[in-house]
Amino acid sequence: MTSSPQRRIDVAGLVIAIILLVLAGVVWWDMSKLQILSPYDLGPKVMPVIVSIGLAVLAIGNGISAFRGDLPERESLDWTPIVLILGGLAILIVLIAFGWGFMIGTAILFAATSTAFGRRAFFVDLLIGAGLALFVYLLLGKLLTLSLPAGPLENLF
Amino acid sequence: MTQFRKGLWRSALAVAAVAGFVTSAAAQMELKIMAPAAPGGGWDQTARSMQQALTQSGIAKSAQVTNVPGAGGSIGIAQLVNNSKGDGNQLMVMGYVMVGALLTNKSPVTLEQTTPIARLTAEYEAIVVPADSPIKTAKELADALKADPAKVTWAGGSAGGVDHIAAALFAKAAGADPTKINYIPFSGGGEALAAILGGKVTAGISGYGEFESQIKAGKLRLLGLTTPANQGTTDKPSIKAQGVDIEIANWRAVVAPPGISADQKKALVDAMDKMAKSAEWQAILKQKGWEDSYVSGDVFAKILADEQARTKEVLTSVGLVKS
Amino acid sequence: MDAFVSLVNGLSVAIQPMNLLFALIGVLLGTAVGVLPGIGPALTVALLLPITFKLDPAGSIIMFAGIYYGGMYGGSTTAILINTPGESASMATALEGNKMAKAGRGGPALATSAIGSFVAGTIATLGLTFLAPYLVDIAVSFGPEDYFALMCVAFVTVSATFGDSPVRGLTSLFIGLMLGLVGIDILSGQSRLSFGVPELYDNIEVTTLAVGLFAIGEALYVASRRHIQEEKLEPVRGSLWMTKEDWKRSWKPWIRGTLFGFPIGALPAGGAEIPTFLSYSTERRLTKHPEEFGHGAIEGVAGPEAANNASAAGTLVPLLTLGLPTSATAAMLLAGFQQYGLNPGPLLFAERPDLVWGLIASLFIANGMLLVLNLPLVGLWVRLLAIPQPWLYAGILVFATVGTIAANPSPVELIMLTVFGILGFLMRRFDFPIAPVVVGLILGPVAESQLRRALSISLGDPMTLLQSTISATLLAIALIALVLPFFLKGLGRFKAVED
Repeated sequence: MTSSPQRRIDVAGLVIAIILLVLAGVVWWDMSKLQILSPYDLGPKVMPVIVSIGLAVLAIGNGISAFRGDLPERESLDWTPIVLILGGLAILIVLIAFGWGFMIGTAILFAATSTAFGRRAFFVDLLIGAGLALFVYLLLGKLLTLSLPAGPLENLF
Repeated sequence: MTQFRKGLWRSALAVAAVAGFVTSAAAQMELKIMAPAAPGGGWDQTARSMQQALTQSGIAKSAQVTNVPGAGGSIGIAQLVNNSKGDGNQLMVMGYVMVGALLTNKSPVTLEQTTPIARLTAEYEAIVVPADSPIKTAKELADALKADPAKVTWAGGSAGGVDHIAAALFAKAAGADPTKINYIPFSGGGEALAAILGGKVTAGISGYGEFESQIKAGKLRLLGLTTPANQGTTDKPSIKAQGVDIEIANWRAVVAPPGISADQKKALVDAMDKMAKSAEWQAILKQKGWEDSYVSGDVFAKILADEQARTKEVLTSVGLVKS
Repeated sequence: MDAFVSLVNGLSVAIQPMNLLFALIGVLLGTAVGVLPGIGPALTVALLLPITFKLDPAGSIIMFAGIYYGGMYGGSTTAILINTPGESASMATALEGNKMAKAGRGGPALATSAIGSFVAGTIATLGLTFLAPYLVDIAVSFGPEDYFALMCVAFVTVSATFGDSPVRGLTSLFIGLMLGLVGIDILSGQSRLSFGVPELYDNIEVTTLAVGLFAIGEALYVASRRHIQEEKLEPVRGSLWMTKEDWKRSWKPWIRGTLFGFPIGALPAGGAEIPTFLSYSTERRLTKHPEEFGHGAIEGVAGPEAANNASAAGTLVPLLTLGLPTSATAAMLLAGFQQYGLNPGPLLFAERPDLVWGLIASLFIANGMLLVLNLPLVGLWVRLLAIPQPWLYAGILVFATVGTIAANPSPVELIMLTVFGILGFLMRRFDFPIAPVVVGLILGPVAESQLRRALSISLGDPMTLLQSTISATLLAIALIALVLPFFLKGLGRFKAVED
């Protein structure tokens, strides 16, 4: 998107404004369910009201700049690496949620991220990631006795 | 007579059988203790101390501590009830605070679903005022509260916690409207203590340990502890003995998952009984300054049920729980 | 002079070889855990308590103090090098420090942070030695209304982190304030913006937000732009060490940072984040190189780092004099004392002077040790940036996620981290400043609860905010700081017209 002299409406900027407006609405809706319990306390509602009004006003402000088109320029975007990294994070989350431990997921996350940054050695990186995870597990899980999410791999050690 | 003798015989047999079972089972007992809180807090310290006492005294072969922090224990108990059903080696540390937290968080999982095992420690609540306060006794504080509850500001822990409940119970016992108390929750013990020392509030309420060194140094005046009337001493007067009828303790306990067999329950109760008597556990209690309030099995189950009913009533009266 | 004699006695305790060893173990361990976001000194001390019980009290408490100071160092190293603040107090350091590292000035950034921490730590520990009894009286007299006024001052200075557009800066701040609402409201016990998810009841962890926005957001952003602009990191450009110019630009921020950090750290609800931001904003206003801010200004590293370490020493004032633990780490130190049957507080100085002064003396030693350890390591640390980019960023993601699950092994926490990462990416893409989000999360809840406490105590009378001298003064400062820039601008315009 290049800014032309006649200044086009910035669609992304409008979307941001709408999201802010929705957030303002959510905060307001959530606030309406609260009760004031203590007769002396200002109550839990005041701050959400301020935040909600603030977000709504800022939605208008962002909307105006979107209409004026005076948002900064943006360069084109390569989605592949983003999908790779977010995919790695998603796999890690799913594996932990289903009790497969954190080591497998961490290794995959490591390999996925390094692929996203242009390396073409997925399996080597998988091993490096696994080594890193093992090191972390021994340091935190065994030495400091923190309870890291454990699965089949962790139980070997 | 015969019947009595028969009963006696039966129970003696049962005891012998259980004892035999426990000694053999205990040797392989591999316990898992969940602290439904982040490492470092009170429940975590209790879990890790249990681990220490159980393994060092040889009551259990191993005891593994896991932390499941979040929402006053709501997340931990949900995991215990849903994922550990019928697991006779799993224990969870909990405390009085959890009773209130589950109610205020509207937790779908309740303590009734767990298997109560034993209460381990208890700490009584202390009410203090700044050293230069005109209030000298618990009775005077009660009178001030009765005259105008708004003017008596309390500093303590988070809303709906044991400090808040104790303050509400005190107001009720004093004949004041508990919904009208001016209770100001603080996030950390240090912050509340600073507000009391700085004379920002009328009174402070929290576990005795929070205030101990300030009381000894003469910076705070102790009005009393929420102990039973006959347990008061000159150093630590009982509030109940001063005519304000309130008794409450912040206890810590262990529960097991639902669905465990009677034998499994018995084994866990016996392991706790042994641990409570062990020299290792007694040494830890002394070192940490924890008061021993050990009861196990059905006695504890009864206490747990009573505490739940009372807490629900108090929290409903201050509006935190809808009946 | 009493304090001086006691300090010398304390030094004689602290320089016993065994205690020196404990201090060394402490600073090394502290640096190691400080590097990982989510795992801080508090957690480490908590986990070590049972192990150290067998050691003698002086040794283990000295070790804990080493962990405490070491954690502060470790957190800022990762903030500078890989934009991953290890503790929330290192966030301000990341703002300029990481920009410096990317420009090949990581060496001077690390050096000014190490030396600044040393200078600040030493001055603040001196303050602890000689001023603690006086300071603590002021600290305790600080009431909720005064904290609220302090928050007002902090809010006014936040605009320094806004970048060039006030609308976008304020948008970021309000998103932070909104995130600050999530969880159980401490004053009423009701949950806000939690949608029935119990994991959200405990409020959003500052480190989760900061690491998501800074580290993961940045990784996503850099990856998405690789096809346009390959990011080239040169570990060292110019001097690895601080130049004469760097020294000249650093020493005043060190002193000013200390002056913010120590007293605010000594306040029971002061914390380390607020002084670091006040210091950052001040340096940004006072600098002679305003064009460098946002691109790696050394003042923006020197000041906040000094403030961070000075506040760590400040925290010990209420802990040692009153037994008030005012931070998670201080609470663990307190537990460390209690494990030996010692109760910090008014009596500890009288009952166990050897221990208290041994601890204070070992703080000096820990500080010196950290400087000696860290300065030679600067060269090595900076080489980290020479790791091939794919591995560097993959490592950053692993550190960020593992640190998060080690502190809270729940998938929900990781989901939050990911969502904040996406938020950070989008904010970078649409040029919204990142820091105000975290500032909003930190300041919002404190300002709200302190105001509500103040009004509860005064039974709803807002005049309570002006009746306290401290509060009135701070509010006046906030007002001046708010109005002055406009006034000066007006004056400038007036002058321009006259010319």
